[in-house]
Amino acid sequence: MITAEIMGAWLVVLLTLCIFSFLYKDNPFYKAAEHLYVGVSAGYVAVISFWQQVQPNMFGRLWPSRIDVDDGSIFTSVWYAIYEIFNFISTGFGVLDRSIFPEGGIKGFDEIRFIYLIPFILGIFMLLRLVPKLGWLARWAIAYIVGMAAGLRFYGFLNSDILIQIKASAIDFTSDWGTIVNALILFIGTLTGLIYFFYSTEHKGVVGRLSRIGIYFLMIKFGASFGFAVMGRISLLIGRINDLKNYSSPEYNYATPVISVLIIICLAIWSFMDGDKKKESAA
Amino acid sequence: METIKKIFIVLGSLDRRIIFIIVGLSVLIPLLKPEWVDLPIRPTPESQIVFDEINKLNEGDKVLLSFEYGPSTKPEIHPMAIAILKHLYAKNIQVYGFALWPDGNFMSTEAFSEVSDDYDKKYGVDYVNLGYKPGGEAVIKGIASDIRTLYPADLQGTSLNDIPMMKDVINIEDFDFVFSLSAGYPGSKEWVQYACDPKNIPLSTGCTSIQVTDIMPYVENDQIRGILAGMPGAAEYESLVEAELQKMEISGKPGEASGMMAAQSIAHVVIVLFIIFGNISYFITRKKNRKG
Amino acid sequence: MLLKRQIPLMIVIGVGLLTLFGNFINNEAVRGFVDNDATQWFDIIASFAIFLGALNMLKLQLIKIIKKQKNWQYSILAVAGFAFAIFAGFFYRGANFITIADIQDGQLAIVSGIIAEELNETNPYDIKTKIMGSQDEYEIDKLFMTEGNAKLFMEKLTPFVGVINLKSKPWGAHVQTKGSLFYWMFINMITPLGATMFALLAFFVASASYRAFRIRNFEATLLLVAGIILMLGRVPIGNLIPWWVVSIMLMFGIGAIAAPFIKERKILLGIVSGGIIIFIIFGTLMGWNQTPPALLSIPIIQDWIFAFPAMAGSRALMIGIALGIVATSFRIIIGLDKSVLGG
Repeated sequence: MITAEIMGAWLVVLLTLCIFSFLYKDNPFYKAAEHLYVGVSAGYVAVISFWQQVQPNMFGRLWPSRIDVDDGSIFTSVWYAIYEIFNFISTGFGVLDRSIFPEGGIKGFDEIRFIYLIPFILGIFMLLRLVPKLGWLARWAIAYIVGMAAGLRFYGFLNSDILIQIKASAIDFTSDWGTIVNALILFIGTLTGLIYFFYSTEHKGVVGRLSRIGIYFLMIKFGASFGFAVMGRISLLIGRINDLKNYSSPEYNYATPVISVLIIICLAIWSFMDGDKKKESAA
Repeated sequence: METIKKIFIVLGSLDRRIIFIIVGLSVLIPLLKPEWVDLPIRPTPESQIVFDEINKLNEGDKVLLSFEYGPSTKPEIHPMAIAILKHLYAKNIQVYGFALWPDGNFMSTEAFSEVSDDYDKKYGVDYVNLGYKPGGEAVIKGIASDIRTLYPADLQGTSLNDIPMMKDVINIEDFDFVFSLSAGYPGSKEWVQYACDPKNIPLSTGCTSIQVTDIMPYVENDQIRGILAGMPGAAEYESLVEAELQKMEISGKPGEASGMMAAQSIAHVVIVLFIIFGNISYFITRKKNRKG
Repeated sequence: MLLKRQIPLMIVIGVGLLTLFGNFINNEAVRGFVDNDATQWFDIIASFAIFLGALNMLKLQLIKIIKKQKNWQYSILAVAGFAFAIFAGFFYRGANFITIADIQDGQLAIVSGIIAEELNETNPYDIKTKIMGSQDEYEIDKLFMTEGNAKLFMEKLTPFVGVINLKSKPWGAHVQTKGSLFYWMFINMITPLGATMFALLAFFVASASYRAFRIRNFEATLLLVAGIILMLGRVPIGNLIPWWVVSIMLMFGIGAIAAPFIKERKILLGIVSGGIIIFIIFGTLMGWNQTPPALLSIPIIQDWIFAFPAMAGSRALMIGIALGIVATSFRIIIGLDKSVLGG
């Protein structure tokens, strides 16, 4: 019996092998899978951002559950009437069921925070980037993001990546000679590596020799990074091939071998026809 | 000798698709026949530090477990998540799940559902999953100051005030340990910079192999206590946890990463041989061109 | 000009200074705003930036289809994929579950058996215990993507229970609940596509290592040797490499370093070969076959390279990059760097 699980397994195998088909050469299977990925992942991230951030944290603060905040005033009634207007629009003018704006407000917070109209407006400005005449408004939203990121990063990097790292480079001369030698290697490597990055002086003479030593340490670091990069990529490949192996069992109706054979046959036919087309255009 | 030189010259211009096939087979064959290659796993000093730090925790301590990885890096990091959860559950430590990546939601849901039932852990009492919020370091700053401003409810929509184990938890200072399962930005670096360094909370991490050399300076001076480096790190941690669970007489399923180490080892050897043969071929061809 | 340049600049400077000094100001209101609300606003605007990116992608793909540019047929798939994700996120929830209550006398075992069969559990006793332990109603631990499937299961239980309801997980929670269409899309489409894209790189790394990784100079040799030692030392197979293989590699390394100074190739070959033979004989006599020294073990050498020389390079890079970031952030905060606002 074809269940949703088996259908899902066949889809997984098909999409995986479509991407792997790129190893032969760029082909329609790969292009199709790639474009599908672009579309689905863009939609996915947008949906998650909306339901995890915008709806609970922005709309949830502007229109919390009415039971918790209703003081009977006209202003509150008008404010929640705006909420109902948003709901009416989001349900396709009353056609669909309530989803984004549940009945009576969004549960979570216990007071209305009107100050959250500011990020709401800035968010709309961000979207206006798509409108050529009003695109400049997005600069206000981007300005907020950039200013905040700069302020956050300044302190974070200064403290953790500079001050603490410099402090850690200090050598404890009271420990055993093996530790001291290793600490000296660390210190010399760090210092000479930094000298290499100092471009305000020409790398000649003493500075040149020190920066040469710095390059050697950096090359060892890059070699280690290369080793780890290979390790990481092989791990991911192992994961995929393991999944393909699991989906080749009778439980999944031999998805992997069947789809592999089909793709190979289709690729062979496409390759043959593509070769003919190229010969014709060359002639 | 001449024949060997000719072979290397031919090998130098090998079609890359043959290289792809060899790499594919070097991974596939050990996966199909793991019994052919049985290799003992040696924990590295960094993995041992992670294990020791978690082992030092006591029953009832609170650990923040942050999921910063997705399906593309799942083979490397998910086995670490499972092994960490097993270790924490065996020691009856309360686990608080967060995510800085949207995919982290699914990874956390999967990890918790895979392990929690085996250890009879109840949601809301032994573990809770608060899920993902976008914003990167801004989210970490929020967690560092007041969790409830970011998270009015958990992943299922339950208000935090209705969850028993969230009662005494206001911000990161209420946690005894933070563990970041990190595949990139935002990840363990941001936890160091915006939460654990400023608030002096012990932090450890399991990350993808690619990130390891960038994170190592934090490990060297104990800003991060130990590191699980990629899939081999996951396999090392699994072997340490299995030994510990055996001591505690707790049985469980074997770890996933350990079973893949044979494939990892063979693939590495193949790539090293490619590098060596490629260079031999390069030198022979260069010498031949100079003579010619 | 005021609206397009000066006001954004003022926002950058104001927010930047507030965020930076928020770390040092001990005023509760300011601290509260910087640590909580300001970061929330950042998150919200970042979410809108994500929407902008998605809409922009959609716009580009639609233009490609309308103008029938090269490979426009594939863009239909991109748009269809996007539409499917939006449909699964906002229009079709799935994540249906069933709750039961008022189980008829003597029917508990039958109900537990039916539920156990549906959940593929061998022991219905656990389910019976959970049903007895539940206070108002018992939520069956299975989620159905379609109401049709859920109703089929409900028909099996209806004769034995007094109250049976079909519910759905709330909107919002459905995006990460198993049994929702969105979750199905994540597991069966996004996961394989994303993971395989990354896994492809393994093949290209191998191909690049073979065809492009050449020892052209001393720096490249250092890079290569460090990479090889790390690749072998980090995996279990590194423990199996015997001490004499490491000795041979060490002698080749010494030969490579000495090569620029020894012009006569035959002398160099003699030194390297002689060194290898002496090393092996010496090692055999010292009993290294039984207890090899730590210094000739690839994993131990790898640990040392990783912990010290590679660490030094990493630290130098980290400090260098951090200095650059701090300088750039400072320039942005004081308003010197206007490029971030679009020229």
